[in-house]
Amino acid sequence: MSDDAVIKLSDLAIGYDRRALASGLSLELKRGAFIGLLGSNGSGKTTLIKTLLGIIPPVAGSFVARSPSGEKLQIGYVPQRETLDPVYLFSASEVVQMGLYGEFGPLRRLKAEARERVAKALDRVGAAGFSHRRFSELSGGQMQRVLIARALVSHPELLVLDEPTAGIDADAAKAVGELLAELHKKGGITILMVNHELHWMRQLATELIWLRDGEVVQGGVDELLSPERIEQMLQLQMS
Amino acid sequence: MELLREILHPEFLLRNSVYVSLLIGFVVPLFGIFLVMRRMVFLGVALPHISACGIALALSMHVWFGDYDAMHGANERVLALVGSIAFAGAALVILAALERKSQGGTEGRIGAAYVIATATSILLLAKCPQAERGWLSLLKGEIIAVMDEDLWLGGCSFAVLTALLLLFRKELLLVSYDRALAVVLGKRVILWDILLFGLIGLSISISVLIVGPLITFGFMLIPPMTARLFAHSMRQLAFIASMIGGAGALAGFCAAYHWDLPIGPTHVAALAAVYLVCVGGKAAFRLIRRPVGDSS
Repeated sequence: MSDDAVIKLSDLAIGYDRRALASGLSLELKRGAFIGLLGSNGSGKTTLIKTLLGIIPPVAGSFVARSPSGEKLQIGYVPQRETLDPVYLFSASEVVQMGLYGEFGPLRRLKAEARERVAKALDRVGAAGFSHRRFSELSGGQMQRVLIARALVSHPELLVLDEPTAGIDADAAKAVGELLAELHKKGGITILMVNHELHWMRQLATELIWLRDGEVVQGGVDELLSPERIEQMLQLQMS
Repeated sequence: MELLREILHPEFLLRNSVYVSLLIGFVVPLFGIFLVMRRMVFLGVALPHISACGIALALSMHVWFGDYDAMHGANERVLALVGSIAFAGAALVILAALERKSQGGTEGRIGAAYVIATATSILLLAKCPQAERGWLSLLKGEIIAVMDEDLWLGGCSFAVLTALLLLFRKELLLVSYDRALAVVLGKRVILWDILLFGLIGLSISISVLIVGPLITFGFMLIPPMTARLFAHSMRQLAFIASMIGGAGALAGFCAAYHWDLPIGPTHVAALAAVYLVCVGGKAAFRLIRRPVGDSS
């Protein structure tokens, strides 16, 4: 694994119940990059993310996720917001606090310093104004900001986002896009983002990973999103 | 007021029934909240009956082994407790294993477990009139003769179970709400699930042994559902559910004593009345507050 990589995949196969959705994945995610993860429905984008996060085990092969000091890589995860059940009565602030539960183990209460970090994270994403409102009653864009704040509160080296602009209105999506661009440029965080919309990839990503037909293509944005390459990729997917 | 004073008097003949009703009323809803939040209400219906089936098996074993005194003597309560815990625990393990192995079909399995457990209980007790009488009164929620030992068992057990639930509330809520985040944060999700369902299983087993499945089910689910109508936070939800449970237990006991009704069904009827009043009240409140001309 090279020094400038946060994650290295070695002949990785991903899937469920030992059935591979994609195999032979060998690549590196470079530190400081904004990596866009593309692919059609069912190509394994979310499965790849879940595997890298340790939520599901790899079918075969391995991957290494490491910080420069050699310690465990600190990852912030922003899931698809539909996965969170609205029946729970959590405020936006309480949802962000959950991002600190890794540091505050069982029997430890969150102290004033932790609450301050939560307030700062909410402020950083422009969500301080609705921090006391119930999370399930927020708009899609507001929820997304809160989930990004939750991921940021633990000071991650890698931020993983699963379709952060899906299902929210154009203005809210634009605001989320601008926020991610700012976090990447000013915060220096490595970002891995799944997104269906190519214009977001063009605007935000510095490199792309395209999953298709169980295989992976990695390259620059201009290279993979050239009209000829898109046509080629889409034809391959349709054939 | 006079009735309340009589019921709460330390010399009241049925004081153990009052204490146990209040104990179950205040505490059991705290465990039920997790079943409601995790959308596992069916499990809350089935588990008390599966647990009761364990009690039925323990009480009817002498039919096969022939040692009547051992089964209905001093060991009866211990055997019943072991049967109750073993069945609730086994059911949780089997249902969780099946859930992990295959997608969907959970409701069907829980429904089948419920009906099989109830039928098995009746069949097991068919040859033992004494156990059948005791079990049927438990099934109907007759809790007039609560023994001191049962009160102590309930008090001590629920003190420990509730303390564990409150101490690990943060982690239990995290794995219930967002398992993926819990994994990312390095939490051992399976161990926390085992703790949560262990606490729920034990609370159901002990409650069923003391007051039967009807009261257990009623207090486990109706107070959290009612509290959900008004609560604005998880803390409020727990507090309001516990208060509704306690108040429902007291009101139910007063009504049952005053009108000479079976205690268990009266408890549940009192809780149901509170729930219906709250649903109606909330709907009426919304109607009144709706701006004129708004037809939505």
